[in-house]
Amino acid sequence: MHWLRSHKELRALESKVHLSSDSGASADPCAASNGIVIATEKKSSSILIDDSVIEKVAVICPNIGIVYSGMGPDFRVLVTKARKSAQAYWKIHGEYPPTKVLTQEIANIMQQATHSGGVRPYGVSLLVAGWDFPRGPTLYQVDPSGSFWAWKASAIGKNMVNAKTFLEKRYTDEISLEDAIHTALLTLKEGFEGQMTEKTIEIGVITVPSQAELEAGKVEGTGRYKPTFRKLTEEEVRDYLAL
Amino acid sequence: MPDGSFASHPQERQFNPYSENGGTILAIAGADFSVIAGDTRQSEGYSIQTRYAPKVFRLTDRAVLAVNGFAADGNMFVKKVKQRLEWYRHAHAKDMPLKAIARLIQTMLYAQRFFPYYVYNILGGIEEDGSGAVYSFDPVGSYEREACRAAGAAQSLVQPFLDNQIYFKNQLAAPNQPHPVHLPLSDVLSIVIDSFTGATERHIEVGDGLEIYVVLAHGRSVQGLEGVPGVQELTTSGEGDRVFVIRRELKKD
Amino acid sequence: MSIMQYNGGSVIAMVGKDCVAIASDLRLGVQSLSISSNFEKIFPVTDRLYIGLPGLASDVTTLREQFRYRVNMYTIKEEREIEPQAFAQLVSSTLYEKRFGPYFIEPVIAGMQKTPSGSYAPFIAATDLIGCLNFAKDFVVAGTASEKLFGVAEGLWEPDLEAEDLFETISQTLLNAVDRDAFSGWGAIVHVITKDKIVILSSSAFISPGLGLAS
Repeated sequence: MHWLRSHKELRALESKVHLSSDSGASADPCAASNGIVIATEKKSSSILIDDSVIEKVAVICPNIGIVYSGMGPDFRVLVTKARKSAQAYWKIHGEYPPTKVLTQEIANIMQQATHSGGVRPYGVSLLVAGWDFPRGPTLYQVDPSGSFWAWKASAIGKNMVNAKTFLEKRYTDEISLEDAIHTALLTLKEGFEGQMTEKTIEIGVITVPSQAELEAGKVEGTGRYKPTFRKLTEEEVRDYLAL
Repeated sequence: MPDGSFASHPQERQFNPYSENGGTILAIAGADFSVIAGDTRQSEGYSIQTRYAPKVFRLTDRAVLAVNGFAADGNMFVKKVKQRLEWYRHAHAKDMPLKAIARLIQTMLYAQRFFPYYVYNILGGIEEDGSGAVYSFDPVGSYEREACRAAGAAQSLVQPFLDNQIYFKNQLAAPNQPHPVHLPLSDVLSIVIDSFTGATERHIEVGDGLEIYVVLAHGRSVQGLEGVPGVQELTTSGEGDRVFVIRRELKKD
Repeated sequence: MSIMQYNGGSVIAMVGKDCVAIASDLRLGVQSLSISSNFEKIFPVTDRLYIGLPGLASDVTTLREQFRYRVNMYTIKEEREIEPQAFAQLVSSTLYEKRFGPYFIEPVIAGMQKTPSGSYAPFIAATDLIGCLNFAKDFVVAGTASEKLFGVAEGLWEPDLEAEDLFETISQTLLNAVDRDAFSGWGAIVHVITKDKIVILSSSAFISPGLGLAS
């Protein structure tokens, strides 16, 4: 019986992977030597929806951000779990988790949903961008199956095949963060329907701290390190789109 | 009781005649001098009662007594010792010798064996042979002549430091160069000041002010005291041993 | 008598110039009866990190195993050695987990911490039995002789001691403090940690003039 159930849900899982591919969303990251950019389009089914409250790029902890393609509610749940996991790690170690550890935590949660009774797998693919001391800037993709791996640049979502072909032509190991942001926007533009504006684009960036910033340690008076991941404001996105 | 009777339930009330007023004292004997020091903070529990309550007293030109523990008992004890020393002067027309003062203190403490003065005494000064001496006492009069002793709240902090610096404990002398039996006065003063700044740093009941009494054997030069800022001489007559006091500030937090 | 004094023992750690030292006595007792003069309380965590566990002897063993387990899990999961700062946090959270039924241990941590520029900086820390961290810049002490250790260390320690001088300072501090403590003593062990060398000296071996790290 048990075997049968697992088997059935494995098929469900495969269909979810398919679903996330053409769910209409697309996320597109680009790892640069001095940073990472994750960018996504956000489009709603009706002009009546107030899309200023939709959030597809999420901050998990000061050094990690994620973006998704797939089912919004599933993503929201995963964001909550990931944030809790990051804080639990902080409580034990006094620092935020390295990107790989956080990715592993999320991947474990997603993997468990593939063989637990009474639940369906999470219908999302994630891109996890982070910076940490031993490894520097790293970018991971997590699939609904719970498998995860690292990218230099990649795309997930409805236009991922074209986008990845595009990135393969544009990516170099020496690319700067500024260039990476533009490359990410160009990649999104390829398959974009409608107008690309600060309302329909979300961007998050990892900025690699300078040696001086690292030596200086915690920000004066706050007891915290300067965050390495942040979302760009609408003004900043507009400026990048204008160029 | 609800019915108004008290007879069936005996009640006990107690008065505690003692308290502990913090602070620390120490004394170190040199070859021909003696140094007796104490901080000036007086506290009860976590409250500071005063930042200047002397615990070290000149008894004669050759004897200085430091008292630590219950301040009221200490003050009364010093008063009585001084009185006995005055009677001795009237009877014998001279100051009592140091070792006799030490024995007197034992007798006076043991007289209160079943309601003791709650104080630890350290007596420092010059013996009749001109050597520096330190006597330390427990509250009921058990005593011993030593080269150095710390007592009071920070005894456990200071004593092992003195063991190391005065007795050279755990230090091996270089071949053919044995450890000195007595240190020069200037070294002793540095060790005393270091002991108290250290104790002040780590013990809440120690601090505010430091009084260092120095007793010099008669005929000894003031070597080790010259150049020390703020030395004040307390000697009352010429041609004998001499008493000096040095005052220093300690941290007040 | 408190359970913290049941077996006796003391640990101290000090910071020097590009080095740290951690030292302990070797006594194991049951109240006033001495049982062993070879009970080590300081354990390696990584090549550059040591932890001292003074307190109840049974908890020394339990916690050492607990930390070994947690550090091994960390090393495997994170594919890196744990740094002193993170380890101190781990010690703290491990102890606070048992806030209302604590281990009777007051750990002392000493190690060389990797800096962002790739060099190493001295690190010491201590916690109470429920994990309240104390990141001191000079020295930390714990155990039955802690008051005495404070007193002597306050008098002997100075900033920027070279490894040889730090060794002499921590040895003298420990030895003279435990000599005034009935529950500590019966031999001692000193670890001096620099970025690329660890020197361990035990007991009588180091009470000889000029016998520093050079020999």
